Amino acid sequence: MRKRTTEIGAMRRALKRADTSLLLYAVTLFQASAMLLLTLRTNPIDTQSLLLAGIMPAVTLLLVKGLPKIWKIDRVILTLVLFLCSVSVVTLTAISRASITPLTQALYIGAGLIGMLAGIVFIRLFRHWNRWKLVFMVLSLGFIALPLVIGETKNGARNWIVLIRDVVGLQPSEFVKISLLVVLASFLSERQSRTMKILSILFGASLCAVLLLERDLGALLLYFLTTVILYFIATSNGLLSLAGLGAGAVGAVGAYFVLPYVKKRVVDWRNPWADPSAGGYQVIQSLIAIGSGGLLGMGLGLGMPRMIPLYHSDFVFAAICEQFGMIFALCLLIVYVLIIMRGVSVAMSCRHGFHALVSFGVVTMLGLQTLLIVGGNIRLIPLTGVTLPFVAAGGSSMVSCLAGAGLLLGISSLNADQDEDDVRRAEWQEGDRE
Amino acid sequence: MKELRRNMRLIGTLLLCLFVGVAGWFGYTTWTQGSRWAMSSNNSRLNHAKKNVVMGTITDRDGYTLAWTDADGARRYSNDFAIRLALSQTVGDTMSMSGTGVQTFFASTLVGMSGSVIDRTWQWLSGETTRGDDIQLTVDARLSGVLAQNFPAEYNGAVVVINYRTGEILAMISMPEYDPASLDTDVADTAYFNRCLQGQYTPGSTFKIITLASALENQPGALSQAFVCTGMREFGNGAVTCLSGTKAHGELTLKTAFTQSCNVAFATLSYGLGQNALLRTAESFGFNDNFTFSDVVLYASSFPEDIGSVSELAWTGVGQGRVLVTPLHMAMIAGSVANGGVMMEPRLVRQVTGATGLPRLRATPGAYKRVMSQSTASIIGDYMQSAVESGTGTRARIQGYTVCGKTGSAEISDDKTVETNAWFAGYLADEAHPYAVAVVLEKAGSGGNLAATLAAKALSEAIELVG
Repeated sequence: MRKRTTEIGAMRRALKRADTSLLLYAVTLFQASAMLLLTLRTNPIDTQSLLLAGIMPAVTLLLVKGLPKIWKIDRVILTLVLFLCSVSVVTLTAISRASITPLTQALYIGAGLIGMLAGIVFIRLFRHWNRWKLVFMVLSLGFIALPLVIGETKNGARNWIVLIRDVVGLQPSEFVKISLLVVLASFLSERQSRTMKILSILFGASLCAVLLLERDLGALLLYFLTTVILYFIATSNGLLSLAGLGAGAVGAVGAYFVLPYVKKRVVDWRNPWADPSAGGYQVIQSLIAIGSGGLLGMGLGLGMPRMIPLYHSDFVFAAICEQFGMIFALCLLIVYVLIIMRGVSVAMSCRHGFHALVSFGVVTMLGLQTLLIVGGNIRLIPLTGVTLPFVAAGGSSMVSCLAGAGLLLGISSLNADQDEDDVRRAEWQEGDRE
Repeated sequence: MKELRRNMRLIGTLLLCLFVGVAGWFGYTTWTQGSRWAMSSNNSRLNHAKKNVVMGTITDRDGYTLAWTDADGARRYSNDFAIRLALSQTVGDTMSMSGTGVQTFFASTLVGMSGSVIDRTWQWLSGETTRGDDIQLTVDARLSGVLAQNFPAEYNGAVVVINYRTGEILAMISMPEYDPASLDTDVADTAYFNRCLQGQYTPGSTFKIITLASALENQPGALSQAFVCTGMREFGNGAVTCLSGTKAHGELTLKTAFTQSCNVAFATLSYGLGQNALLRTAESFGFNDNFTFSDVVLYASSFPEDIGSVSELAWTGVGQGRVLVTPLHMAMIAGSVANGGVMMEPRLVRQVTGATGLPRLRATPGAYKRVMSQSTASIIGDYMQSAVESGTGTRARIQGYTVCGKTGSAEISDDKTVETNAWFAGYLADEAHPYAVAVVLEKAGSGGNLAATLAAKALSEAIELVG
């Protein structure tokens, strides 16, 4: 009798969540002080930055304090994601002029936060995924193929749809990521036949084929790896997964010989110093920026990060290294790792295979995307045009990453609900017995 | 579900490992190569900074000013014409004509970009004209001037003097020179080229130091080996000849083979050692290493990894064929013999002083690596001493001091009418004056003549001027 009571006590205690207020205050302090510093850098003072110096901490406090009152979401993930978003605004404010102003990026983040809320609500309400998956499949294939029909070419990839010229554009491959995860998870969740599981691979492969036509190599790699990893996790079929990876490797080698733009990427990566003003230009300027930053960086708003091509998107990591230095950049990687570990633990405590697969898919994609772009910036691997999650400029990527985070947060709240139900049920049973 | 969790744990751990790997690579490469990237001539931040920043002053080891920025912002150089020219490639210029010069390689220091955050913030807040850091070099201006004046005027070449205990470069002269103060005037073809660092020369017989080290470390009975030189020996489908030509060396011990610089004997040694042993020893001496020294851009010395024939192997052992070495590296090789087998990392910067007057960096000696055992080094040292006392290098003798050295006459063309490059590599066996020297005179004939004479001059002036 007594033993059961202590067990319930332990379960109750486990429900109480750790105090994360210190982390929250540290993040708001970073946001406010960094933006105030940037406000003072011009004369007269930069009102946009001043405005953001107030808005950013306020929104952060509101979300981290407020949202858990509605849903029992994981506050650590939310706080860290908001920290990364604020690094994005701070960095872009410090280095950008005109094309992408800090306010634009803040608006994107605002849109992304709405996407995050939508993600939470969606995953909490979404049932009967088996019935819906066909709709999702058709929509994703149609949407991702859209740039082939009405798209624009940007940085060599035809993966861009212009809604209003020079103002609003969309990158479908960013949004389809979310739907890929949902479709894969519903195909692969338990009680599905073997053929259905194979179908998931075919779906992933057909998306990859479209991306190949659009020359969106970064997204292609990301979709491919995520599909293989989710397939492996769900089926434990190591042999077939490895075969898939092998086929991907063969495809990559084949692409190197057949597709000139793939070969060029690899050649530029192998020996960028051979042609520092053309082929190797991007990656060399990235390394130079990282080297110029050194350990502690040139200082916020100092240095010349605009010398890096694509400093706001593909090379934002190098720009951060120049501004804040190597130590900060390493800490940034640690923040990603923390989000990932926290996300893995959310996936582990899921009751449904579907939820486990969706949340783990979000984490995998986040991790792979970060590794691909950071590795490209530091010349560890050839450059692929994916964005640094939550940090790189751009609306599509920001909304899709935050919506993904929304799915993760929603699932974490479902887990918490179910844990609470368990405790309540145990207490009832206890009550019945007495 | 259980299996699902196991797989997730597996992939999660894998992701974590990948992150650790990427972060580790990022940290390691940035830490070791970051400043190199920043100093790249493709870094437009430097040119931008040069316009807005007062570049720091460069002085020699005694504080003699070599380059500074005057009140009008113009870059000025020492008024002593001989010193200015002698150090032209070492100090470099503002146009980066000499790519390895201090003003190019250390540009980020001279414009204060590598300074501390505190310094920079302070300068930014106080609105003071930003001032770069000052650099004190290890070179001696007077020694450099004297060596340039004593350099045989009709030849191109290089002479480099180092302290083999600390690795400090005391002088490096590359001929022809140029005037950094008037870059508009026409200069000789290769004047911007620092031969000490960038000149990859066939080492000729100076390479016998390495063949000898390889024999001593790999063949137990090497010391008691005897040779008979008839002036020529066939190896495969080629023949190795002794340059002394008409007269053969006759019967030789290992020591006399070295002091008389007998090609036949060393080709025989090399043949006995084989390609792998010789390659291993050469690589332990730093051949084929893309040196990443913090103070100088030293081009790699190379040793062929794919020797095709027996005759090439034989020729390689006497420093011909595809072996190439830079003069500074040759001085480091001679220095490692003197320093008990430990090669020191070359140092060119003695101290960096920040705008606030506080020393930011004081150089400390560091070993590049141990290149051979102490006993091997002492035997080679003994042989090199004999080579100067009674062998091919007698012109390098200095009254009252023990000079050890090895001459070299490197054939650079199959055409026998083209004179050989004259080499001398050696050192002073003297605790108070631990100096090593390497000399190369292009197309100046035998190493025992002008090169040995210049080496003796360099060492005696170093004793006199550096102390």
